[in-house]
Amino acid sequence: MMRIYAAELLKLRTLRGPWGFLIVSIGLAALFTAGSIGGTTEAARLEERYQFRLILDMAFPTGILSLLLGIILFTNEFRHGTIARTLLVVPRRWCLVVTKLVTGATSGTVLELAALGTSFVMAVIWLRALDIPLEGRDIADGAARSLVAVVLAGVLGAALGGAVHSQVGALVGALVWMFVVEPLCWVLLGLLSLDGVAEYLPAASLGGIIDTEDQGLPFAGSVGMTIAWIGLLFVLALLRTGRRDIT
Amino acid sequence: MIEVQGLTKRYGPTVAVQDLSFTVTAGRVTGFLGPNGAGKSTTMRAILGLVRPSAGTTRVLGRPYRELDGPEKRVGALLETFDAHPGRSGRNHLRVLALAGGIPRSRVDEVLALVELGQAGRRRVKGYSLGMRQRLGLAAALLADPEVLVLDEPANGLDPQGIRWLRDSLRSLAAEGRTILVSSHVLAEVAQTVDDVVIIHRGRLVRQATIAEVEALAARATLVRSPDALRLVSLLTGAGVEATAVGEDRITAHAPTERVGEIAAAHGVVLHELTAERASLEEVFLELTGEPGERGG
Repeated sequence: MMRIYAAELLKLRTLRGPWGFLIVSIGLAALFTAGSIGGTTEAARLEERYQFRLILDMAFPTGILSLLLGIILFTNEFRHGTIARTLLVVPRRWCLVVTKLVTGATSGTVLELAALGTSFVMAVIWLRALDIPLEGRDIADGAARSLVAVVLAGVLGAALGGAVHSQVGALVGALVWMFVVEPLCWVLLGLLSLDGVAEYLPAASLGGIIDTEDQGLPFAGSVGMTIAWIGLLFVLALLRTGRRDIT
Repeated sequence: MIEVQGLTKRYGPTVAVQDLSFTVTAGRVTGFLGPNGAGKSTTMRAILGLVRPSAGTTRVLGRPYRELDGPEKRVGALLETFDAHPGRSGRNHLRVLALAGGIPRSRVDEVLALVELGQAGRRRVKGYSLGMRQRLGLAAALLADPEVLVLDEPANGLDPQGIRWLRDSLRSLAAEGRTILVSSHVLAEVAQTVDDVVIIHRGRLVRQATIAEVEALAARATLVRSPDALRLVSLLTGAGVEATAVGEDRITAHAPTERVGEIAAAHGVVLHELTAERASLEEVFLELTGEPGERGG
C-alpha cells in the first residue's frame, strides 16, 4: 500500500499540472493576503479575530484548488487511459480508491501548507511594518481550520472523481454544484423555511469549517458532515471503480 | 500457465466472447489469433482482471489475476490501447510503475535501453511516434522480468527491425520457460514466432493447435506436368490417389509430391514438373475463421 501511495505521489510530481496548481495556490494566497491587509482600514486590522479571519479567507481559493486537484488526480486515469496500467499493478480496486483519497489529502496538505506559508510570511512582514502585534493563537486557530478544510476538500475531490470518472463531468459538476445548484437550494429551502437543512449540503458543510461568522453548523459539525459526504462518495467510488470494465 | 475456462463476456446484448476455453503452457509462445472484433482484446483483459467475465474463469499461474501476490512482478502486459500519460516522460512512466511494483529503479534504464528508447526516455510521451509508444509499452511489460507475458498486438507500429527484435526476444524468453500469449490478426506475422496458436472468431474458439498443424493445413495438392499425363492419372487413381487431368499435359493430384514422384518413377513416367501447391497461411487463417476475403484485424 505504501509503495502504491509513493507511486501516486510520483505521478503528481512528474506532471506539470499539479505544479501549476501549487503555483496558483501560492499566487492566490499572496493576492488574498495582500487584499486582506492592504484593502482594510487600520481600525479593522485591530479588530478582534482579524488575523484569524485573514488566514481563513485564504482557505477558500485553496480549498477549491484542492477539490479540483483531487478530482483530476483520479479522473486523469480515465481521461488518459492510464487506469488499465494502474489496475495491472493494483488489481484490488478498493486499494486504489483508498490510495487516491489519501493522495487527495496529501495534495491538499501540500497546497495548503504552501498557501499558509506564503500568507504567514507576508502577514508577519506587513503587520510588523504596521506595528500590529501578531496574535499567535488566532493565526494557529485559523491555520488549523483552513488546513482541515483544504485537506478534506482534496479527499472530497478524489472521492468525487472516483465516483464520476469523467474528468469534464466531475470538474464541471463540482463547480456547477458549488456555485449554482447549492445556492439555488439555499433559496428554495429558505422559501420553505427549511434554511437549517441547507447547512448540511456538501459545499455548506465544507464552507462551515472555515466560516468566520459562525452562521452555519459549528466547526465539529461541519467537519463531521463533510466526512459523511466523503463517506457517501467513497462508497460510490468503490462501487463504480470496482465494477467497471476497463475496455 | 494461463487457463481460460468457459469464458463468456457480454456487453448488453452484444456477446464479445462465448464459452471460450484454452490453455497457454509455460515455455511456449502461443499466438492468439482472430480477425477484428473476434474478442481477443476482451479475452486478454479478462485474463488480466480488467474485465469481469459474465461467465467462466480465467487463471494466471493457477489463480485469478486479482488474487495473485505481486501480479506486477509476475505478469507483464502490453495492451492494445496506449496507457501512459502523454504529459509524463517515458522514463518517469516506468519509474512510477517500478516504484509501485517494488522494482529497482536501475531496471528502468535497463528496459529503456533494451527497447532502444534510451535517449527518448526523457522526452514527454505525447511526442512519441506509434512505434516509440509500442516500445514503451513493451518496456513496461518487461520491466519486472515477469514469468508470464500477455501482449496484445505487440508488433503494431514496429519497424521491420523492431519486429525482428520482438520475435527474437519472445523466442528467447519462452526458451527460459516463461509463458507467453501474443495476439495478432495476421497469422503470417506470428507464424515464425509462435509454437501454438489459439484461433478465435466471433468470440468462439475455432481451433487450438501447434503451428506445425496449422501449416500442414496449408498443404493443398501436387501439380504435375508430364507428356504422359493421361497414363499417369490412371496410375495414380489405381494407387488410390485422387488425380485429375487439367490439360493435355497437366495433372492435379491430392497427395504429397514424394508419393506422386515415386509412383511415376516406378512406372517409368517422365515428369517435366512436380510442384507442391500450398495455400498461404493467411488463406488458411481466413478459411478457419470461415470468412474468405475478410481482412482481419
